[in-house]
Amino acid sequence: MTPVAIQSRGETGTSQVAPVDSPLVIRLEHVTKVYKTSTRPALDNISVDVDRGEFVFLIGPSGSGKSTFLRLLLREDVPSKGRVYVSNFDVAKMARRRIPRLRQSIGCVFQDFRLLANKTVAENVAFALEVIGKPHHTIRKVVPEVLQLVGLDGKANRMPHELSGGEQQRVAIARAFVNRPLVLIADEPTGNLDPDTSQDIMLLLERINRTGTTVLMATHDHSIVDSMRRRVVELSLGKVVRDDKRGVYGVGR
Amino acid sequence: MRASFVFSEVLTGLRRNVTMTVAMILTTAISLGLLGGGLLVVRTIGKMQDIYLSKLQVSVDLTADVSSNDPNCGGAICAGLRQQLVNTPGVKDVQFESQGAAYTRYRQMFAAMPQMIELGRPGALPASLHVEMDDPSRSDVIVQEFTGKLGVKDVNNEGVFLQKLINVLNGVRNATFVIAVIQALAALLLISNTIQVSAFTRRNEVGIMRLVGATRWYTQLPFLLEAVVAGIVGAVLSILGLIAAKLTFLDSALAPLTSSGVIPQIQLADVGIVSPWLLITAIGISALTGYVTLRMYVRL
Repeated sequence: MTPVAIQSRGETGTSQVAPVDSPLVIRLEHVTKVYKTSTRPALDNISVDVDRGEFVFLIGPSGSGKSTFLRLLLREDVPSKGRVYVSNFDVAKMARRRIPRLRQSIGCVFQDFRLLANKTVAENVAFALEVIGKPHHTIRKVVPEVLQLVGLDGKANRMPHELSGGEQQRVAIARAFVNRPLVLIADEPTGNLDPDTSQDIMLLLERINRTGTTVLMATHDHSIVDSMRRRVVELSLGKVVRDDKRGVYGVGR
Repeated sequence: MRASFVFSEVLTGLRRNVTMTVAMILTTAISLGLLGGGLLVVRTIGKMQDIYLSKLQVSVDLTADVSSNDPNCGGAICAGLRQQLVNTPGVKDVQFESQGAAYTRYRQMFAAMPQMIELGRPGALPASLHVEMDDPSRSDVIVQEFTGKLGVKDVNNEGVFLQKLINVLNGVRNATFVIAVIQALAALLLISNTIQVSAFTRRNEVGIMRLVGATRWYTQLPFLLEAVVAGIVGAVLSILGLIAAKLTFLDSALAPLTSSGVIPQIQLADVGIVSPWLLITAIGISALTGYVTLRMYVRL
């Protein structure tokens, strides 16, 4: 079974044209990524399309290429072969000076939260807007809104270390979402959280997805994937081995 | 670009590694101070050349015989020499100084030292022809042509003394420049290192800035400005240092030379003229070092 045969979604759309006005938000075309230090490619000729507003789980064991997948979308790396599109950015080919624009349209959340320990909750969220040059009055208006959305409106002036893990992840999600990105990338966002807290975070991600933001979440958490019944893309040894529209974690394992 | 944001980042950065910032500022200041000192010497040499070259003279001393027998330069030997000198290219004017006039000048020169006046006797000094040059570079030709001629005892090129003095000052200038360059190298390495440490201590902030799509300017400017601010502070310190050095010991150390008019005194205006160059150098070098460091060693 080849990855091309399995992933049917990519075959149906416009296969050669760049997704300018299409509903596609992410498109990988025959992407291969080889790292110099490794003989086996991290990604091996994969093609994946994601529509606007989708919620996609990216699963697979460690070393299956999930991180590489996400890095390519952010242009932390360029593919060895193939093309990567995010919205109407030709990610692999675009000039370096346009990278900030790309990243402004992608929000990122990580397992380890990555909050700034010396800034309050509100300052952490505001930081993401300050450094892309948003005006003061916009920041003052938008930050409380997004804190309310993630359920932290009472804790704007707390320091990160005063918060629980779940609350810290909410701050991170608020920061990723505050600039209203097209895509929210979540790299094992529940990896450090207990199951109940994880459920809360998933509800929050779902709420964000309902605002029209595409969510792409890499995870190892079986129960979450199984309970959500959303699209599942499974990677193994750098190939797409499964792409189910409403999948569960464990099929074929 | 939000100025307040960048400014606060710069201050935090400088405060966070105070010891290195201080080291960076001091090294920069010393390097620039030496550079400034060298530039002051250059200016002094320039002024000396301006002053001396305009009145630089070659004096052709006449033999004792001619000196005492021909007080008005009317004789064939003296008048002949004078005519030859006037006809030499590059000569502007030739003045005769009789033995008597030379003695008068001698007495004036050593008016403050009676024992020197006692030593001098009217007949001991030669009469001479003072040659004023249009083209000082041709003074050697006169020395060559007139040495050994009939009636000529000696030809003195005053430019030789000046040249020796200028050579000494050139040596001083070169030495200060060499030390300044070595210090500048140390300053460069310190600036580069400070920026690397600074970027490392703020890698979380920088990582998030990259992630949310901050432009290169936003991520790099605080680090760059940190280096530039340190450079400016260093330059200001070095300028203050130069002024202090002038007022406290340079003036008194050079007093014997300046009061007798051998070396023009270093004025505060000279420091003022040198200062902008020190500032520009500091800003340019620190910004360039910062930029290159960020490009080469720091992934932003």
